[in-house]
Amino acid sequence: MKILLTRLRLVAVLFTALFLINPVIPLWARPHNSSPPSLIQQTVNGTVSDTDGLPLPGVTVMIKNNKTGTSTDLDGNYSINAVAGDTLVFSYVGFKIQEQPVAAQNRIDIQLKEAATALDAVTINAGYYSTTQREATGSIAKVTGEEIQNQPVISPLEALQGRVAGLQIVQETGIPGAAPSVKIRGRNSLRSIYGNNGNLPLYIIDGVPINSAPIQSLNQFISGQGVDPLSNLNPSHIESIEILKDADATAIYGSRGANGVILITTKTGKGVVHKTEVDLRYYGGISRVDNFVDLLDTQQYLDLRRRAFENDEVQPTEANAPDLILWDQNRYTDWQKKLFGGTAQVTNLSFDISGGNKTTSFRLGAGYQNQGTVFPDDHSFEKKTVNLNLNHQTEGGKFKMNLTVNYSINNNDLFSSGNFVSDALSLPPNAPELYNEDGSLNWENSTWDNPLAQLEREGSAEVNNLVSNLGLQYELARGLLLKANLGYTYLDSEDVIKIPLESSDPAIWDRISQRSSHNFVNRKSWIAEPQLGYNLSLKKHEIDALLGATFQESEDSSLGFTGRGYSNKQFIGNLDAADAISTSRDQTLIYKYNAVFARFGYNWDRRYFLNLTGRRDGSSRFGPDKRFANFGAVGAAWILSREKFMESQNILSFGKIRGSYGLTGSDQIGDYRYLDTYEATPGPGGIYPTQLTNPKFSWETNKKLEAGLELGFFADRISFNVNWYRNRSSSQLVGYPLPAITGFNTVEANLPATVENTGWELEISSLNLDSKTFKWRTSVNFTIPKNRLIEFPNIEQTSYSNSFEVGKSLNIARLYKYNGVNPETGLFQVVDANEDGRLDSDDQIVSVDLGRDFYGGFGNQLSYGNMSLNFLFEFVKQEGRKFYNGVPGFRGNSIDYGENTFSSRTNESNGQIPTQSIDGLISYLNAYNSDFIITDASFIRLKTFSMGYDIPKEILGQVQILSAQIFVHGQNLFTISDYPGQDPQNPGVVSLPVLQSITAGINLKF
Amino acid sequence: MTKKNILYIVSCFLLCSANESCEEFIDVNTPDYKLDSKVVFSTDNSAQRVLDGIYNQLFNTSYSGGGAQSVTYLAGLSADNFDLTTITPELTEFNTNQITTTNAYNLSLWSGAYNIIYQTNALLNGIPNAGNLSQSTQDRLEGSGRFIRGFTYFYLVNLYGDVPLILDTGYQQNALATRTDKKSVYNQILKDLESASELLNNSYTDNDRTRPNRFAALAMLARVHLFLGHWEQADAFSSQVIAESSQYELMGDLNSVFLANSREAIWQISPIGSGSSLTHTREGNIFIKTPTTSTPVELSESFLNDFRGQQDKRTEYWIDVLSTDRDSLYYPNKYKIQYDASGGDIREYSMVLRLTEQYFIRSEAAARMNNLENAVLNINIIRSRASIPVVNTVSGQNEMLNLILLERRRELFAEWGQRWFDLRRFEQSAILRNKLNSNWEITSNLFPIPASELMNNPNLTQNPGY
Repeated sequence: MKILLTRLRLVAVLFTALFLINPVIPLWARPHNSSPPSLIQQTVNGTVSDTDGLPLPGVTVMIKNNKTGTSTDLDGNYSINAVAGDTLVFSYVGFKIQEQPVAAQNRIDIQLKEAATALDAVTINAGYYSTTQREATGSIAKVTGEEIQNQPVISPLEALQGRVAGLQIVQETGIPGAAPSVKIRGRNSLRSIYGNNGNLPLYIIDGVPINSAPIQSLNQFISGQGVDPLSNLNPSHIESIEILKDADATAIYGSRGANGVILITTKTGKGVVHKTEVDLRYYGGISRVDNFVDLLDTQQYLDLRRRAFENDEVQPTEANAPDLILWDQNRYTDWQKKLFGGTAQVTNLSFDISGGNKTTSFRLGAGYQNQGTVFPDDHSFEKKTVNLNLNHQTEGGKFKMNLTVNYSINNNDLFSSGNFVSDALSLPPNAPELYNEDGSLNWENSTWDNPLAQLEREGSAEVNNLVSNLGLQYELARGLLLKANLGYTYLDSEDVIKIPLESSDPAIWDRISQRSSHNFVNRKSWIAEPQLGYNLSLKKHEIDALLGATFQESEDSSLGFTGRGYSNKQFIGNLDAADAISTSRDQTLIYKYNAVFARFGYNWDRRYFLNLTGRRDGSSRFGPDKRFANFGAVGAAWILSREKFMESQNILSFGKIRGSYGLTGSDQIGDYRYLDTYEATPGPGGIYPTQLTNPKFSWETNKKLEAGLELGFFADRISFNVNWYRNRSSSQLVGYPLPAITGFNTVEANLPATVENTGWELEISSLNLDSKTFKWRTSVNFTIPKNRLIEFPNIEQTSYSNSFEVGKSLNIARLYKYNGVNPETGLFQVVDANEDGRLDSDDQIVSVDLGRDFYGGFGNQLSYGNMSLNFLFEFVKQEGRKFYNGVPGFRGNSIDYGENTFSSRTNESNGQIPTQSIDGLISYLNAYNSDFIITDASFIRLKTFSMGYDIPKEILGQVQILSAQIFVHGQNLFTISDYPGQDPQNPGVVSLPVLQSITAGINLKF
Repeated sequence: MTKKNILYIVSCFLLCSANESCEEFIDVNTPDYKLDSKVVFSTDNSAQRVLDGIYNQLFNTSYSGGGAQSVTYLAGLSADNFDLTTITPELTEFNTNQITTTNAYNLSLWSGAYNIIYQTNALLNGIPNAGNLSQSTQDRLEGSGRFIRGFTYFYLVNLYGDVPLILDTGYQQNALATRTDKKSVYNQILKDLESASELLNNSYTDNDRTRPNRFAALAMLARVHLFLGHWEQADAFSSQVIAESSQYELMGDLNSVFLANSREAIWQISPIGSGSSLTHTREGNIFIKTPTTSTPVELSESFLNDFRGQQDKRTEYWIDVLSTDRDSLYYPNKYKIQYDASGGDIREYSMVLRLTEQYFIRSEAAARMNNLENAVLNINIIRSRASIPVVNTVSGQNEMLNLILLERRRELFAEWGQRWFDLRRFEQSAILRNKLNSNWEITSNLFPIPASELMNNPNLTQNPGY
């Protein structure tokens, strides 16, 4: 309390000081009138425009070696007093600096060329302020809208794969809309399960934070991942995505910055004076699974089964082997092709209209996206979006406002099944016909589960999402801005699954009832962020300061219930017709958040940079005594290429050394955990205490240290960035173990466990060719991450000891030691390490790191005349679990390991003999829990491929079109990997693999 | 955004020193799906719901739910009525009487029991502080809470020996509790049950036998005194229950004994506790074998042998067989419903206390006091119900006790581990050595204290032999 007071006072003093300085500013800032009288002063006028001839407002016009300067107005006009012999320097972010000596003329019109190099071109959004890649003190990566829109994806997150060093995105399934796993610089929190994941980055769309936790889904295809909360965005409407990684960049987000920040900016109206432009983009194409697992054919399979019976000395009967006795011995169905080998149609249409005049500009967009599925029957994922961006400023630019509204409706119409894909992989290849002759499902006298019955479990999910923000800005005095961001988000998700009797074997219809499951999720939040910004240039000093506050409140409700006992299939879902309705969840969580934050940026001569950021956060997720905490960081950079001693050489065109250190936090622990309360029991009428309570727990903290070197060679044609980071996450918020005699096993508390993520990130970009007609740029990013649990006192007393080891990565798997095939029994063996005659966690002596050894992307952008070609490879080096779909010999297909794998008892193969004995099952499962299952799961994937052709103006002829481009895009076109299984991205997981798509389309601008 | 919020924002931003309002801004109310434990006991209704919650949770808690980690299953496997047909290491350890201290099922059994203790303690500690509960509610809550606590400690003390006697909810102190000697635990059990027998009504609330009445407390008192060797009290309490013929009778039809609210039932647990559309008991689910469900337990050879040589209605009604191509698997068939998700009425409840046991208690108490005539009289009531020949005379106390032990085995199998406790009480546990792969030793009579408990509480000690 006392600390808070002092700190707030400090802030207040700083605040007041800023105001006090303010009146003095005009004195300093006024242009000097004391130039040498011997030379004739003349007024130079002119217009600055870009290469298209459009005027550029806000271009800085300076006289070289003199601190006098001005900037262009809205029409790109400027006026400056100079003398002959002076040199004017024109600079503008994203454009090449241009110098022009003043002779006798008094009009100088300038065309600025867009900067060819990455460093200057990139203005980056750091959240509360913006900077440039060249002058940033922190580690911020940027992915442009162009890179994103060239990929036929549903969620923008998918488009980031392989593009950013330090960002690891894994799509766990190919079902559209499913949330991928996203980690920025590794796993920080021990809590990583769906529903209680402490590793989620902060997502911010146009300044408004949105809940990054996946939206709960009833559909069993994605009930383990949930719905990606960013899948509602239209990738074509994104201007850029910035990924904030180090302390310098994230500490201004305080308690929410521990896992990094993903900032999404949607497109805005162009410039200030701009004629109305229409941008129309259409593409269509197909998606499909391109990687099927090699399974046995009917003869191989039946052979395997027969040998299992021989080995077990058991006679096959109708009951234990319908596949050998009852079913057709010659039928063959490729179940993978049959069940998920279809082709999905992809359609995408987006439309943008933008324009404006001196004071107002707008952009209005709409989009439609439809993606079919690879499953039988007609299902689709549909997305409709509307975006509005409105900018207005007063004539003099003193007052500015900006409104962005993104609204979308996603409809996912997909049957619900948790085992549709695994069924396809394990069904015997001679399994019966799917349909009877009369068109009804064939259950073959209850000898199998017809997989198509799952199609009867209709599911539909609709997500409506609104993200809106109003930004207001008023220039109180020169350099002093009063700003406010007011945001509102609203997300509404409605999920229904209908389960008719037909989805089950008729033999059990008397024991089940028709039912429907419903789930409603509603998330709303508002945020208000008043801010005061101040900047000042004084000789070689530049100060950029910001002070602000955040007020946020969000309300998350979820309501889940089941209706059952519908008399007719037609009624399912209509609760009036249900015999009974039972609620499984009805919760409303309120989260309130309050913060004061400040930034102080200083540079001297644009050579030495210092950036201080801080935040004091209060969160309703903690007990009354633990609600406030402080976070902050210091970052510094030295641009050595601006030193005198670097001027004499021309190899190194840019050089920067930077570093940062700071503290961020995480409050991703769920709401109300500090309260001592009762909840309703699953059974009706009762309430019960669900936890022990500790009102004293507090934030997880994350200390981040970073050093970086950025170099540019040969006029920045080659750029080279390398970062080293070390993040240490401690005060892990996990259950503190208690003896069960207290009634429970844990109580929420901060454990003194520390997780360390260190790593190297490397980015190289090279402009290989740069002629008028042919351009070729290559870029590579490369990350070597390392994760380690460096501290966990008394881990052996907790349940964590089965999954983690101090000194090792959190991504380890603890396994038995594989010991080959027993020559006598023909069964797999593992080592009983402590020789106590039984296998348990004490015998799991092998620990294998399943995290990535390294990963990255390799991309090329080529353009020749009107043609352009871009492609990006994603590569990952990692180990993973082998594919598993059952024990060879049991009923169910098996992976084809090649010849001689499953021979008789005496063979010398490396496989277990076919058997369906209990011993065989146990030994197989033990082997699959040993280092036997670990295999290389590295891969190189052509992630994106796009080719475009700008139709020349001559051909367009008289048509009123600014530009027209036709293009072909490919996603996941091929994968190089030795991994024997489904997607090496997710080794060991049986799910719908990530789809491959090929699309073609056209982009017209009017 | 409400007006109040705007006010906060303005005041907070402009008057940063007045940070009272900032703290107020992030205050949140208790959400509507949670109830502050301070207000739980403020009304009759909500206090009653705490008790209803305990009844619901008895079905969901491992130790009492009747599933794979329940007393019925684990104590049953430790005795000689069951054999295993599949290999689950945790279950095998119980079956071969060589439980490791890290056995997860053992931990679950132990923690489940203590979770119920926690809930009853929260209830019992909440009532006196509530102040404005009506006397009748207060009596019912306290009586029921004490009954369940006494009942749970009875199993803890019999399964584990000396156990920590936890009577309140403060986890800081409880985490360091030491083991209390058996005698003191039993004293507390008697105290709780006696008090329950004074506080509870004679009749069942809403005629629902899942809500214990006074006779449930008396039936437990009869059992506890029997276990303590207090023969006179055991006889007196069981007689009181048996005398209540307006509520209890032995069902002639063996198929209706385990039905919901059967007149033989003194206390039952309802599957309604799971809150789902599943309306079968866990015992039914885990014992009944069908061609498509493989359950891990079959009835043992030695158990089946005890029925040989005579017609017994119980083999007809309570035992069934599944024949496969390899062998015939016999299984307990007291509950008839293996799986039911049709959402209809609940037809079977899980039996906890039933009248038959009271006849056994009275018979055994008489036998122990050498009143063999009375002992025979009582056991014949059970034998005639099973349609087996009645006993006319017995040569002595030993023969009588052996008859009782045998009859208890045939009657009470697959119910709350009765056989396991019987063998110990009759000092015949050593016959467990005859089981296949048995590792039984005298120290096997107590289960081990779970290893994690010792790690998390340095004051706990392990049972001998582990």
